Amino acid sequence: MMDENGETLSFNLMGIQECQRNRYPLLFVDQITEAIPGKSVRGIKCFSYNEWFFPAHFDDEPNVPGFIQIECLVQTFIMSFLCMEEYKGKKTNFISINNVKFKRKIVPGETLDVEATLDSLKRGIAKGHAESFVNGEPACSAEFVVTIPDVFSRFMPNNTSQVKDGGR
Amino acid sequence: MPNIDKYNKAFTETFMIDESKLPELKYQDVSGWDSIGHMQLMSSLEEAFDIELDIDDIIDFSSYEKGKEILKKYGAEI
Repeated sequence: MMDENGETLSFNLMGIQECQRNRYPLLFVDQITEAIPGKSVRGIKCFSYNEWFFPAHFDDEPNVPGFIQIECLVQTFIMSFLCMEEYKGKKTNFISINNVKFKRKIVPGETLDVEATLDSLKRGIAKGHAESFVNGEPACSAEFVVTIPDVFSRFMPNNTSQVKDGGR
Repeated sequence: MPNIDKYNKAFTETFMIDESKLPELKYQDVSGWDSIGHMQLMSSLEEAFDIELDIDDIIDFSSYEKGKEILKKYGAEI
């Protein structure tokens, strides 16, 4: 959905899946409430006890594992450029994750509000950062460098086109 | 700083290698000059020489020596 100035978008779960390739059980953004293409994005992820990881992490104290919190951040972050027509539906790979901070335990029934900013996007390399909140309290934050291999590989010398040595 | 020093510094700092290795250096000769390293090198050179490299030049930039020819086109004599 686009607002009257044509710049702010929002996506439901089906719209998110048109933009990015993550799927159940590894899709960790439920809704994009505001996306300014090429700049910033806000998204939410709701956690119910039916999440597959809660019974395992931990049976006596269910809470969201750190790596899943990072996925929540980055999957919201990549929507800042995957919502643009030229990148829609492309896969992304991690290059680096820095400055990760976990400030709060997230438990069943809580909703994570994620705010992410795209600091730069050049030659298929996106740099940015994200922070998140539960009921207004800081939860986790991190800085990311992510590639879009389809774009990135066009810039390799001698047509060595695979990103064989960078990013997962 | 002379252009040659700026040019060498982009390589030595990006790939963490000694300057003595540079004259023969080609893409993928050292672990640092992989696909990600290539993009970092291009960004360092653009910043050092205040230029913006074309995609064709980024693809052609396959060695230390070849890079000198390419930068000439942007007014940077190495």
